[in-house]
Amino acid sequence: MAASALAGNKLKAPVAHHFNNILQQQATVRLGMWLFLITEVLFFGGAFCAYTVYRVWFPREFEAGSAALNVGIASVNTFLLLTSSLTITLAIRSAYQASQTGLKVWLMATIILGSLFLGLKGREYYLDYEEGLIPTGANVWVQEQQPNGTYEMVEKPLFAVNVEKVLHKEHFDTHAINMARVQLFFIFYYVMTGLHVIHMIIGLGLLIWQYILASIGFFRFGERYVYIEVMSLYWHFVDMVWMFLLPLLYLCGPHTLGQAVEQFKMSIGLVSGHH
Amino acid sequence: MSEAKETIFEHDTHTVATTGSSLTVFVVLVMLAIVAIGVGFSDLGPWKVAASLLVAGVQALVLSIFFMDLKQADKLTWMCAGASVFWVAIMFTFTLTDYITRHLAAF
Repeated sequence: MAASALAGNKLKAPVAHHFNNILQQQATVRLGMWLFLITEVLFFGGAFCAYTVYRVWFPREFEAGSAALNVGIASVNTFLLLTSSLTITLAIRSAYQASQTGLKVWLMATIILGSLFLGLKGREYYLDYEEGLIPTGANVWVQEQQPNGTYEMVEKPLFAVNVEKVLHKEHFDTHAINMARVQLFFIFYYVMTGLHVIHMIIGLGLLIWQYILASIGFFRFGERYVYIEVMSLYWHFVDMVWMFLLPLLYLCGPHTLGQAVEQFKMSIGLVSGHH
Repeated sequence: MSEAKETIFEHDTHTVATTGSSLTVFVVLVMLAIVAIGVGFSDLGPWKVAASLLVAGVQALVLSIFFMDLKQADKLTWMCAGASVFWVAIMFTFTLTDYITRHLAAF
């Protein structure tokens, strides 16, 4: 058997009684995760499908909503997730070689990268909250110039007032933009990134669980690398969802590299965001 | 059952990616991510979303074939991957044929 030969030990992982041999057990473990991933693809597919319908209907409003998002954090998070996909792949190899120290190192690296992603995402949600980019039915009274030059108090939706403020800061022309539809974009933004975040948290839970198993010697059998492999399938899938969230939510509107760099510096407190 | 029947699981042909090949795949994915962000910051008008989805599709393909190891997966696994794409395609096709053509027949 290639797995144990490479592991350099004569120990054989015990096979569950309902399997003929370890290879059948490994194939079954893999199939189980792939079946689960089909349901996951359809689960996220539903959200992406609904998004597509409204994007086709309201293209300008979706671009406006996207222009108000923090593309700096999203870009950095993309590379954090990609690197975590590499570290988890290296964890499989360590487990295959029954190197428990290597396995723990790469699992911990993946945990750290995933946590950094979530930390930045949390920071991004907080900044969105500070700017008032939260869908709401509340109205607010604002002073507005009338066609005859006088100022009058008018009642406007709170979300529209807040998002206009952000978009004007980004020099985005909000003329002829229906703010109720921008709010719809934001509902998609929160639901889709929120579902992705929940999947990341579950993934981190699995990683910590495997780290504990690695610590108590569960992976002393090289054949058990398959458990790290199927967990990595899930982790890669979550990475893949992000590969589509990035262009559809964040990069849908007009952005520049300079703006992204500026936003990221501001987000982590390198420069002040209050002009 | 007197004697054990040979199953398709008798021979282990499965290998695990080397560190070098994993690093190569990673570098390819990083370059694709840079392209994806580059396209996002560009001004391609209506072509931007098409270009973005094309890059994301290539990324997903590289990730699933190499990191998710479809490369040496058995037929059943390929069927799972294919089924997920197939059912999502049905969902998109039948939903969009309705929603994006409604205004064409608004009488």
